[in-house]
Amino acid sequence: MTAILAPVRHPDEVAPLLSAGAREFYCGITPPFWSLEGREWANRRDPRSAGVGGEGALRRVVEEARGSPVYVTLNAPWYPGDAVEALAAYGSHLLEEVGAAALIVSDLELLLALAEWGLAHRVHLSSVAACTNSEAVRFFRDLGVRRVILPRHLALDEIGAARVPGVELEVFLLNDGCVFEEGLCATTHRLGPFCLGDGPGTEGVGAEAVDRYEFWKWTRNNCGCRTNRGIPLGPCGLCALPRFLGWGIESLKVVGREASLPRKVGSVRLAARGMEIARSGGGPEEIREAVIGMRGAAGLCEGGRLCYYPEVWRGEPRRAAC
Amino acid sequence: MEYGWRAREPGAVPQDPWAWCPRGWERALPPGRVTALYFGSEFCQDALPLPERVGDWVESARDQDLVPVLLTPLVTSRGVPRVVRLLEALAGAAPRAEVVCNDVGVLRVVRSRFSGLRPRAGRVWNRALRDPRPGARPPNGEADRARRLRRFLADMGVRAIETDPDLVGGFLGAGGEGLERTLHLPFAFVASGRNCLVRADEGGGPPDDWVSGGPCGAACCKGARRILRSDVPGPLWRAGNTLFREAAEEDVRRDVVRADRVVLHEEPLP
Repeated sequence: MTAILAPVRHPDEVAPLLSAGAREFYCGITPPFWSLEGREWANRRDPRSAGVGGEGALRRVVEEARGSPVYVTLNAPWYPGDAVEALAAYGSHLLEEVGAAALIVSDLELLLALAEWGLAHRVHLSSVAACTNSEAVRFFRDLGVRRVILPRHLALDEIGAARVPGVELEVFLLNDGCVFEEGLCATTHRLGPFCLGDGPGTEGVGAEAVDRYEFWKWTRNNCGCRTNRGIPLGPCGLCALPRFLGWGIESLKVVGREASLPRKVGSVRLAARGMEIARSGGGPEEIREAVIGMRGAAGLCEGGRLCYYPEVWRGEPRRAAC
Repeated sequence: MEYGWRAREPGAVPQDPWAWCPRGWERALPPGRVTALYFGSEFCQDALPLPERVGDWVESARDQDLVPVLLTPLVTSRGVPRVVRLLEALAGAAPRAEVVCNDVGVLRVVRSRFSGLRPRAGRVWNRALRDPRPGARPPNGEADRARRLRRFLADMGVRAIETDPDLVGGFLGAGGEGLERTLHLPFAFVASGRNCLVRADEGGGPPDDWVSGGPCGAACCKGARRILRSDVPGPLWRAGNTLFREAAEEDVRRDVVRADRVVLHEEPLP
């Protein structure tokens, strides 16, 4: 059964998100032994603005979810060598004693450590691990991983081809694009997103191309705003829902742990409405009409400017590439 | 120390490839001879050579008594068949050639279907920081990390691990796993992805034109573009879909003593 996955950072967010239609949750927590002094964030987001406040808060998130699974991110692309064992032990604690349903992991070193603890079957492979084809999915299935979160930049035909029996798939549905491939971006958000400054200053590239690039980056960054109805103007894959439901994709991700509750609820409501239409047999056109009705900003839907999967509107890929 | 040479086109390896490194680096690099010729792509499935060109590279390597080494990038399901055709061509022309796998799926394919080819784990396996901005460097470097990963790769029959100098260190380890250890110089990758400003500039399409699956004009092969940013002290290079920086000499000195092979890049290439 396909579920909407919502981000949380506080227990009080869970009930409204459940009411809006979320059926799975994910959050970040900074381990108590994790020093922020000179270290990268433990789960790729600033713990002060995107993480749950501690183990007590996480327990409350699990309680408030009333049986819906809560996944916890330990998804930095790499960890210091001396931290991996402690992180694996902490992950085991979260799973066995705090009530997390799974850990979202990127670093292969940590994944292998969790496998040694017998916990690979409770790992969701983060999109940061950049698993982009069915052979890679099989690789991680053989390690025991339960779910693979496919990166944002896969086209629909590539998602369809990545399905492998025995592995759940999660795909991006709403908000917060990336300019580069997450797993291949070796920069740190601790200093601000590196990509936002990319483009200008490139010698030998025309100004018109840089302008197009700047516009595209702006759409990946939620157009820097939200509508007056409180809904973000970020990347959106709602019109691909009929395809995802037909393929039996297990989880549809709404992005934004650090976002405000109104933005999260607005996003989940939008996703739930799209699901409702798709489940009743509606197609991309009906979903788009409903989305524009709820969100506004019809102009940004034209030409697939906000699309995670613009090929829904631009047509299927030409086969000449390979 | 043995050296590899990564070039844009097949041809004679320079007599003195060290001359390609920034001034002062030659003192950090021990003497040795070039033994391997690297070709292919580490970062872009659209920049892979056609299978018909594999023979040219293998012949060039053979003429100079070098081992041919095919670089392969992260690939999507569209890219897997393309890599398979390359591997078939390579296995036909040089059955004991080396293949650098940056994608776990490609590694799986090599192990299961091309057992004669010798797999190496490419530099993308090392996900540590290469951020060129001041303040990115962690206060403490690492002497040895990713031990489990190296052991796992060795158990899988991987012959070598490769990296470029990151800001952290320790990825190559102390050599206890029996893996060869390779260092790519002088460029470290900063960020890569499917958006390609160079392609967008050349073709006039949107930066996310990858969804079209249309053919790429390979404008990146005309050379890397220099990037100047106010928040980065030195220049970066845009080679197609990938940004590179010049590795810091202190990081080179730190890592080169742990390496068995250094791959020198003629220029930043995706």
